[in-house]
Amino acid sequence: MTKILTRTGLAVLAALIGVYLILPILIVVPMSFSDSSFLSFPPEKLSLRWFRNLVDDPVWLESAWASLKVALASSVCSVVLGVLAALALVRGRIPFRNTIIAVLLAPLIVPYVIIGLAAYIAFLQLGLTQTTLGFVLVHTCLAVPYVVINVVAGLVAVDRRLEMAAMSLGAGPVTTFFQVTLPLILPSVLAGGLFAFFTSWDEVVTAIFLSGPEVTTLPVQMWSGIRVQIDPTVAAISTLVLLVVFGSFLILGLTRLIRRLARRRVTGPATNTGA
Amino acid sequence: MKTKLLAIASVTGLAVALSGCGGGDSGGSDSTLTVTMWGGAAQKAHVDSYFTPWAEANGVTIKQDSPTDYAKIKAQVEAGKVTWGLTEVEPNFANTACESGLLEKLPQDIIDKAKASGVAEEQIGECAIPILQYSFTIAYNTKTFSGDHPKTWAEFFDTRRFPGKRGFWKYATGGMFEAALLADGVKPDELYPLDIDRAFKKLETIKKDIVFYDTGDQMTQMLASGEAPLVQAWSGRIYQARQEGEKVANEWNENLVSYDQIAVPKGYPNKELAFQWMRWFLDNPKAQAADADASIYGPASENALQYVSADVRKELPGHPANAEKAIGLVNYDYWAEHYDSVTERLNAWIAQ
Amino acid sequence: MTTVATDSSMDTMQGRPRPLRLPQWLRFDGWGALVLPLLLFLILIFVAPLVVMLSRSLTDPSLGLQNYRDLFANSVYLRVLGNTFLIATIVTAVTLALAYPYAYLMTLVGPTWRMIMLGLVLVPFWTSILVRSFALVLFLRDTGAFNATLQSLGVIDEPIPLIRTLPGVVFGMVQVALPFAVLPIFATMQNIDRRLLLAAESLGARPSGAFWRIFVPLSAPGVAAGLLLTFIQALGYYITPALLGGPKNMMIGELIVQQVSSVLRFGFAAALATLLLVTTLLLLLVASRFVDLQKHLMRQT
Repeated sequence: MTKILTRTGLAVLAALIGVYLILPILIVVPMSFSDSSFLSFPPEKLSLRWFRNLVDDPVWLESAWASLKVALASSVCSVVLGVLAALALVRGRIPFRNTIIAVLLAPLIVPYVIIGLAAYIAFLQLGLTQTTLGFVLVHTCLAVPYVVINVVAGLVAVDRRLEMAAMSLGAGPVTTFFQVTLPLILPSVLAGGLFAFFTSWDEVVTAIFLSGPEVTTLPVQMWSGIRVQIDPTVAAISTLVLLVVFGSFLILGLTRLIRRLARRRVTGPATNTGA
Repeated sequence: MKTKLLAIASVTGLAVALSGCGGGDSGGSDSTLTVTMWGGAAQKAHVDSYFTPWAEANGVTIKQDSPTDYAKIKAQVEAGKVTWGLTEVEPNFANTACESGLLEKLPQDIIDKAKASGVAEEQIGECAIPILQYSFTIAYNTKTFSGDHPKTWAEFFDTRRFPGKRGFWKYATGGMFEAALLADGVKPDELYPLDIDRAFKKLETIKKDIVFYDTGDQMTQMLASGEAPLVQAWSGRIYQARQEGEKVANEWNENLVSYDQIAVPKGYPNKELAFQWMRWFLDNPKAQAADADASIYGPASENALQYVSADVRKELPGHPANAEKAIGLVNYDYWAEHYDSVTERLNAWIAQ
Repeated sequence: MTTVATDSSMDTMQGRPRPLRLPQWLRFDGWGALVLPLLLFLILIFVAPLVVMLSRSLTDPSLGLQNYRDLFANSVYLRVLGNTFLIATIVTAVTLALAYPYAYLMTLVGPTWRMIMLGLVLVPFWTSILVRSFALVLFLRDTGAFNATLQSLGVIDEPIPLIRTLPGVVFGMVQVALPFAVLPIFATMQNIDRRLLLAAESLGARPSGAFWRIFVPLSAPGVAAGLLLTFIQALGYYITPALLGGPKNMMIGELIVQQVSSVLRFGFAAALATLLLVTTLLLLLVASRFVDLQKHLMRQT
């Protein structure tokens, strides 16, 4: 009985939290169809002018593409480096452990404006400003603590005996890692990777330093006019991004469904073996 | 399946990163000019009006960047790797930066030309010429104040006669200190140097009713929604909001005129090109007027006003009806000296 | 507590090269050496420029401790710093209180609902924080949808002031932080073997007992990760608080940005950042003594 009560209570709470999470979306999407040149909700007059602006002005899609490239590359780099570091922290012996942990966490603690300025001053000399590589280098630094913290939490729960069993059966350490450990910590790795991706995707402070006419990321494009007036196109591109993501998930889900249905038809009711 | 996905993702990621290694700074090519302003629709209007025509006529490629970031200017100049050419800046920054060697000093002929084309002399700096004008006005919500509304800063500070919150720009040079002193009875020509203590005392009297804005959108939002039915606002933005149907209006009485300038960071490789543009800009009041029509900011040269469309002209600080009601110009020489210390005091006062 | 033996004899048995012959206190073992790629990467790209930048606190504008003296002399910075830690603590507590039950429910439901719940958590990520914060302002202000709905339903007569208040800031910041807490907690919970709970119940424990004494402790690493991430992140927020909060809710990030971009006092900004960094690291050190974070996070004593 109490189980049902707690379960229903949980469900209600989770539903409220779910609404809380998507609350901004429920406001942003209608906002993107507003005709006003000020961000307003609820929209009084509807129009598609901000979506037309996305098509007319190439900077929006260009900067979105740049952001995507940077975010993908940074998350891959930070996952690789971060997983290795997490393995070392949980399993290894490291001199100056506390100091190294501090260094690994520092990008999270130091204000991004300071990191941005520091990187900018250094990169000006190295010619790395306004380059995708410069972005990836800095964003990897920012993203890595997210990966490390998540993967460490995941590694701690791994039963070492599974690994030892694999090794005793002849698997080398690398094979053991990929076949045994990695699948076990995959949720944490994915969580860390997701955080890394979004940290880079939405990052604006260091991006403002690193951006320029050559390379600009989407957040900079969104923020650049904020002093005087936010361009309502930002609502349109947010809606567009959501549509793309939602659409791809839908397509993924549909293809899986279709494949499952197709398989059922192929392996359908038993037929005579001769055919 | 999952390992395959990871492998694909990592290969794609690396390939994408390596392929995108291009870019890099290119301020050095002979006919490229980088223009940096505050971004958004205003920048588009500015560039379309008086950069693109000149660039096309002279075979120059304009590269745009935004927003202006003073830290970036300082870092670029210190590193000796300046990529920003013409940069829109605030006059107090232009003054201090000029003195500390962050900006190029303008050739004398440009300064003379500016004076000749009707640019107000106080607005011309050693390193910068004005680029646009606006006023700090008493903006009011026309629904809340459909009948009577404050027409002086003294009335603006009178929360008993005109109840409601007051909006101010959270910025030392945003006009709040000038407004407070005027409300306290200081005469316009005795305004500077500002008696900051006296201004804080006056602000303290309405402190619980003050709401601050950082951006133009917040300013318009709080006024249009009625959250702060009286705001010390930027004239152009209020007019634009009104055109969109928002219930807001400017009261031009006792308006405080302000302006932005354009300058060249020191060490910019194509500074001669930048100076060429400045000469063209000062010689082309029609281009300035086109910008005024598009952005609702007043032109730098007074002789450009006549080319601005009649409707927009009424909303500019240079319009005679508005100009005669003006208290005067924000004194950015004062602010160049005192911006830092007043900002600190403002932070402390706000946080109390 | 099992640790794989990686002494040199086992290395040679498996044909792995021996670790470098460094003095004992400087020795990395095989696993430990895996931290080196990240460490070197961070030292090159992050630490070196940062040290140069932070050392400006001692050299810019003049050599010495002047920046720090100015910092401590002006109480507004310390007050705002203290306020920042306070807000971060409140945000972390609220976030965790919401994240834990949400993640727990995610483990209980079927795969389709789990996907949906996961999707809801990920959706905020795809929307820029700029747009999100503005949307929340439009929602929470006196004339916004929230107050308008409550008033039309007759629940309240006057609008509840929500923006420019602490609850408003917390509302906005928790909305941003929630996904960062839910995911690590869920990831850990997923790995907990439900049969342990069943075994406990078969041995006589009540379901709630099994939950609190077995499930919760096993989920501790995920909670610790979520806690750490949320708290440290919250220290750095200033955009959401600037839009949703009042002047009393100012966070240190805003002041640092002001010093860098408006006032151009790089040395002073560096001093502020150094103070924030040192204070946070000290706090973590103290906390790790109390909670023995090391033991929980890494099963090392």
